Amino acid sequence: MIIGRMWTAAVIGLALAVPPLMVSAQEEGGTKTARELRSAYDKALQGKTIAFLPIALNVPLMDEWTRVVKEEAEWRGMKFVVRDPNNNPSAMQQALTALVDQKPDVLIVQNPSVTLLMKELKRAESQGTYVVQINMSSNYKSSAFVGADWHEVGKILAQDVVKQCGTGSGKSGKVQIVQGELAAAASVDQVGGVMEVLNKDPAIKVVSNQAANWDANTALNITATVIQQHPDLCASIGFWGIMESGAAQAIRNAGKINDVKVHASGEGSQLDCDQVNQGNFYKFLSYKATEQGHDLMMAAQTLLESGEKPGARNLEYYTQPLWIDKTNANGGNCYALPKK
Amino acid sequence: MAVDSPLAPAGTPRFRLMATKPNQEQIVLLITIALVTAFGLTLNGFATLTNLLNLLRSISILGILGLGMGLIVISRGIDLSEVAIMAGPWAIALIKIQQGMPIGWACLLALGLAIVIGIVNGVMVAFVEAPALFVTLAAGFVIYGLAFWFAPAYVVYAPTDAPALLFLGAGRVFGIPVPILVFAAAAIAMQLFLSLTSVGRFIYAQGDNPEAARLSGIALRPLIMLEYVLVALLAWTAGLVWIGTTGSMQMQITQSTMIFDVVLVVVIGGISLVGGRGSVFSVVVGCILIGTLLNAFTIMDVNSEVQNIIKGIVLLGAIVLDNWLHPRDEETARQGD
Repeated sequence: MIIGRMWTAAVIGLALAVPPLMVSAQEEGGTKTARELRSAYDKALQGKTIAFLPIALNVPLMDEWTRVVKEEAEWRGMKFVVRDPNNNPSAMQQALTALVDQKPDVLIVQNPSVTLLMKELKRAESQGTYVVQINMSSNYKSSAFVGADWHEVGKILAQDVVKQCGTGSGKSGKVQIVQGELAAAASVDQVGGVMEVLNKDPAIKVVSNQAANWDANTALNITATVIQQHPDLCASIGFWGIMESGAAQAIRNAGKINDVKVHASGEGSQLDCDQVNQGNFYKFLSYKATEQGHDLMMAAQTLLESGEKPGARNLEYYTQPLWIDKTNANGGNCYALPKK
Repeated sequence: MAVDSPLAPAGTPRFRLMATKPNQEQIVLLITIALVTAFGLTLNGFATLTNLLNLLRSISILGILGLGMGLIVISRGIDLSEVAIMAGPWAIALIKIQQGMPIGWACLLALGLAIVIGIVNGVMVAFVEAPALFVTLAAGFVIYGLAFWFAPAYVVYAPTDAPALLFLGAGRVFGIPVPILVFAAAAIAMQLFLSLTSVGRFIYAQGDNPEAARLSGIALRPLIMLEYVLVALLAWTAGLVWIGTTGSMQMQITQSTMIFDVVLVVVIGGISLVGGRGSVFSVVVGCILIGTLLNAFTIMDVNSEVQNIIKGIVLLGAIVLDNWLHPRDEETARQGD
């Protein structure tokens, strides 16, 4: 024991003595390299403009991207510009044209459809702006894509549902799907992934597959009918936390919240974690908006440092989805909503 | 007048023909009864008490909004900002609650905001004499923008520990969901107001022929103000039910097609867009028809594209029926001045 204590004392003593020595060592050579690297970094990034065009602001997902990219861009001495077309496709097109004309160095775009903004994105890259597409890509392959692979998200959701309700589970196998908008890529691709997995298990029956248009009240109305038609419903899958909370409420109202496994995917804000902790969501598949914001900045930074011609390469930054349940619905897994 | 007199004999049989035509409410009621019977016989689980209560609960918010829209359409106006009036003031009130305002005060704040919007709409239509369609369309955008200014959140959650606030949407009395009771109470009050009070009769007179109503001594401008304030009050009530049902308020609904669903239930039930016709019963019947269709579609798991097609066809059918029953002529086509 005494030897142990002496060792500890020696280690602490060394730890206290070494830093001043290291500083002097750094001044010899280490800091020079570090400064050269930093100045190269600053040269690539400082004063550059990064423009962001989401589908709308004031949505937890887009607000978090904006917060992270803005914070990180400012720390790097970059200029950050954001436009809010507020869900209006024609306003979005106009905003994009105006942004492209300003020739920013990097342009981050969230596409409402695969074709709407394609031409302008192509024009932006041909004039020397790197285009990064987030979560919803267009048919144009730009310099980088950051985001969730919706098909994969759907498959992961369905795999857990099959585990809970499929062959050998002893449950009814009845599953409800609450889609967003039928035409939205996020909805189409998720439902594709979900069905691909569910169809493989003959025990699974999809008893309802409806679109609630991202609206909690519509999800509630649909689910109230579904749960009363199928009291032995085994699971409900919803493609967005805020919308699926309506479905969860209908199931709770019917007194079945402990029997029906409510699954949802989404950005993973505190709102989603609250639903998990209150027992409304059995499991939540988060695509981590905070991390996506950071990935956006990484993509922008990589492109700017590479100095390559825009469009020369298509970099992909897929987000790893994370299951959130009662054991981990806290801390860093749930980002706080910005204070209003 | 001199020109009219030779036509008078011809007018009499035409009037008789009109009288033999069935009332639109009755037609829609018959269609609804037929559908309910058909679904009850063919769809497993449709004709159960829980499902019928579910059906009624799911249309109550639409119905409360429909009562307001019905009132304003009877007076030959329209209010496209009704859904925004429901969402905007409540979104602001919920944000204030989160910031620590007592719940009672926040409800009054929402009420006050709704009334102010109603007054502004009324002033624009009655005194500035701008067309109601455009005034209220613009008002909807302004409310959306302002509400976002004060409450910049996609969805605002209500406190979960406020049973009084949530009661109208989430409560049950003797097993009946409270939203149904709110809708019923609002419908009865509106029916009594429209049929038994002189102001209510004036609203019909105004819708039937505003010029004649004014010439007979009705103060049209204050009446119009009152109508828009009543719509706002009903929107506020619908908002309270909405918050109780979903535990939140989503500003996005003002950008959705919900306002057209409200117009749909009003027009289907036989409240004519030319004004002066229809009643509270029209709204109730229209709502039940739409509710029955939606409920049956959900049971049958029909996807929402097909649902939209059918909803659109039903609306078109109602408008054609309205045109056939109430043909537009020189007299009724003139907008009020």
